[in-house]
Amino acid sequence: MKLSNFLSLPVVLASLLAPATVAAEHTSNWAVLVSTSRFWFNYRHLANVLSLYRTVKRLGIPDSQIILMLPDDMACNPRNAFPGTVYSNADRAVDLYGDNIEVDYRGYEVTVENFIRLLTDRVGEEMPRSKRLLTDDRSNILVYMTGHGGNEFLKFQDAEEISAFDLADAFEQMWEKKRYHELLFMIDTCQANTMYSKIYSPNIIATGSSEIDQSSYSHHADNDVGVAVIDRYTYYNLDFLEKEVREPSSKKTLGDLFDSYDESKIHSHPGVRWDLFPGAEQGGRERLVMDFFGNVQNVEVDNAGNSTQLAEDLLLLSKKISELRQQADATEGAEKNATTPQPIKGSHMVRKIGAAKVEADHRSWDKTAMGVWALVGCSLVWWAGEHMQPSV
Amino acid sequence: MLLSLLFLIGSLATTIAISALADSHSDYHEQLLLRPLHPSLLLASFNFQSNTSLTSFNQQNFRYFPRSLGQILQHANTRELHLRFSLGRWDAENWGARPWGGAREGGTGVELWAWVEAETDDEADQRWLTLTNALSGLFCASLNFIDSTRTTRPVVSFHPSGNHSNSTLSNLHLLHGTLPREVVCTENLTPFLKLLPCKGKAGISSLLDGHKLFDASWQSMSIDVRPICSPGADDCQLQITQTIDMVLDLQRSKRPRDNPIPRPVPQEELKCDTSKPYHSDDTCFPLDAASQEEEFSLSHIFGHSLRGTCPLANDGAPSVCINVPHAREVYASEGAREEKDSSGYMRCFQLSPDKDFDMVLPQQEISEKAPLAQPLLYAERSFIGYGQERGGVQAILTNPSPTDAVDFVYMESLPWFMKLYLHTLKAKINGQDKDTIKEMYYRPALDRKRGTQLEVRILIPANSTLVLTYDFEKAILRYTEYPPDANRGFDIAPAVITIGDVSIRTTSLLLPLPTPDFSMPYNVIILTSTVMALSFGFIFNLLVRRFVAMDEADQWDVRAIRLKFAATIRRLARRFKKYEKIQKTE
Repeated sequence: MKLSNFLSLPVVLASLLAPATVAAEHTSNWAVLVSTSRFWFNYRHLANVLSLYRTVKRLGIPDSQIILMLPDDMACNPRNAFPGTVYSNADRAVDLYGDNIEVDYRGYEVTVENFIRLLTDRVGEEMPRSKRLLTDDRSNILVYMTGHGGNEFLKFQDAEEISAFDLADAFEQMWEKKRYHELLFMIDTCQANTMYSKIYSPNIIATGSSEIDQSSYSHHADNDVGVAVIDRYTYYNLDFLEKEVREPSSKKTLGDLFDSYDESKIHSHPGVRWDLFPGAEQGGRERLVMDFFGNVQNVEVDNAGNSTQLAEDLLLLSKKISELRQQADATEGAEKNATTPQPIKGSHMVRKIGAAKVEADHRSWDKTAMGVWALVGCSLVWWAGEHMQPSV
Repeated sequence: MLLSLLFLIGSLATTIAISALADSHSDYHEQLLLRPLHPSLLLASFNFQSNTSLTSFNQQNFRYFPRSLGQILQHANTRELHLRFSLGRWDAENWGARPWGGAREGGTGVELWAWVEAETDDEADQRWLTLTNALSGLFCASLNFIDSTRTTRPVVSFHPSGNHSNSTLSNLHLLHGTLPREVVCTENLTPFLKLLPCKGKAGISSLLDGHKLFDASWQSMSIDVRPICSPGADDCQLQITQTIDMVLDLQRSKRPRDNPIPRPVPQEELKCDTSKPYHSDDTCFPLDAASQEEEFSLSHIFGHSLRGTCPLANDGAPSVCINVPHAREVYASEGAREEKDSSGYMRCFQLSPDKDFDMVLPQQEISEKAPLAQPLLYAERSFIGYGQERGGVQAILTNPSPTDAVDFVYMESLPWFMKLYLHTLKAKINGQDKDTIKEMYYRPALDRKRGTQLEVRILIPANSTLVLTYDFEKAILRYTEYPPDANRGFDIAPAVITIGDVSIRTTSLLLPLPTPDFSMPYNVIILTSTVMALSFGFIFNLLVRRFVAMDEADQWDVRAIRLKFAATIRRLARRFKKYEKIQKTE
């Protein structure tokens, strides 16, 4: 008996260790897709983001897990000759705006403050769920940004900018608050690689379109739209995703994706940062593209097969709930009892200053007459005083 | 066996009873009305309406009522809601009265007003905040920008259209907000369609397509939720009405979607007026095509034909109607039953449930036209004045009726940075000062806290024109208060004109504010910093350094200091020794 117990110890240990190995996997996928440029001539930045949006949606991330930030309206822009559409290719084969699109932050809402609040979940309680990043420590997040940037900054709407330090601190805060499991940061802007140089939080793979002092270029223009429609780096990323990652079962890795970058085509030097990732480059290269661009959910069942345990747990839980309910009822009742003696009806009297009725003044002539009389009276007194003075 | 059969029958009976119960309490119907407008335009009015009993709504038992919206309304204690998304200008001179009498229409951008139940004003504000934020998430619009500066509490312009019990009526707070800058696009249509029972998959909603809707000359989407209590029934109904009205340009909508850029008509296809004396091979006066009715079909203008009927629409009313004279030829696809009404200008089609429906109106020479309803009032509003400091607003309101005077309420809600001078408010009728303002409600603006709200009740006599003018001053904003595209100007919400149940909205205005060159502050900061650094450095140098001649400088170098220091220590040591010696000698 004793011996058998001893023999079963490794099994118990293994079962204890099992969650630790499972913990290496993620259970949800989220995407934060941000364009930071306003104005019609930045059409391509919105097209970049919308292309990514279509791709992650195609690979299975639902609208509820995609945060899309579009700072301007291109589809219904009066300058757009193709109303209700955004194209990222001059062949105009795919309408990126389509019939079904949900934009979470748009127009003036796309600010540095809102972006950082979104990442760190520092939002007011009235913020709707669709505008929040409801991730946990088992969520893989794809953060894609595009716009106009420079050395360690990215402009938002041509009015403000986010620095590489702000971004690094936001990611650190996310890590501290257990808001991600692994994060892929991708940025397409001029001098993009400087934007991820300050990140110091673990489990992040970062990639950018161009080195310091290098510009990122647009790929091509559609002469009927009248502006460039997509950037080179994003174009070749999408090219890979469309051609190689055709279905959610794809086994292509991030290594394959980054190896596909051809500097002679992209016209800049894309960079990758592996050092924050466990296993560094070796570990990162083996990660599947679908771990970030798709929605592969690993279901995790605790104590599978042990149904009596589950039943017991449920029983315990229901007992706990009923206990808590009773407690809540009791406190509520106490509160009610405490508050009933002092009615706060007076608060109803505090009304906001509403619009007041403006009354026309019908007695203006009377008032004028009174004023004239007062003046005449004063001058009479003065005149009388002047004349009644005893002459010396 | 028998038992199971009994059980089956029993369950069947209960299902039927339940469905019958549900049917008696909830219904849904939809209708599309088409009305050709001059010249070569088409007004398409979509109407979707469903009723749910208030008790089942309160029990969270949603059938036709969209759950997503219902839960928001319950959470924010909203008893009546009106939400509008609009774009474009209704051309009343050519198109006549507005659809639904303007009741299902909002100002350019987004407009929202609701009756919120709350004990206090602060509580109402809190619930309004919850409501606007929740709706902003649901409809992908920046409704969360309706803050205290854009919220008003109109006194006489809006009245609840639903039936509210007296106990709730006393606690209802009307709040109204507009976003004239907000764009209306496909992402707003997507959630709108998701609220419909058939979700745009079947029935008339299958015609709705963002590519056509947002190419319209004028369009308005509306959502109204209100309680309805009939006097006899003990249970009230909650009614949700969704409408979409759009004025489509037939020429534009017939262009192919992949190639919408117009090219000049080839010369051989041009129709010229040959009666003109200058008509020749290279000169052409285009013929007026007004006498010709344009050819169009549903599939042409909406991109595809109508997909059957929505199976949930259970009232049996015809779902597509067109307002053309009976003499106009209309060909409908097979399976549809045509019904002409007695007025001579309306015909409706009863569709077959599972067949696609299309309707073709060929080109036809016809002089008879369906009569247009004349609007009660024509309204236009524009800026007057010049300069960066002050300006004025002029509203021209024309009563076209030769016999009836019109009593209306004119409401303006202006942003705080447009400071209205109330004493300059003047109303002139046919160019003469007359006492036409009957009543006036006014709430002045507070900087950065709330905007101006002005409601004026005016009586305009028959066949006259009223010109309402007022002056205002433009405030100077703080650096961070300017939007990223400040040079575009600031949108001013449309004025709302209420005549009983009819409402008219003017167009929005674009107010240019004095906008600084935003790079200039940086120049100033850099220059000032340089000047300050130079002067500070100079003064600091003067204060902490000692200036000596070249030959004296040797005495002040480090070696000299060290030597001096060493000498002092030696002197002190010597003195100490001397002291010791003196002690010893004693």
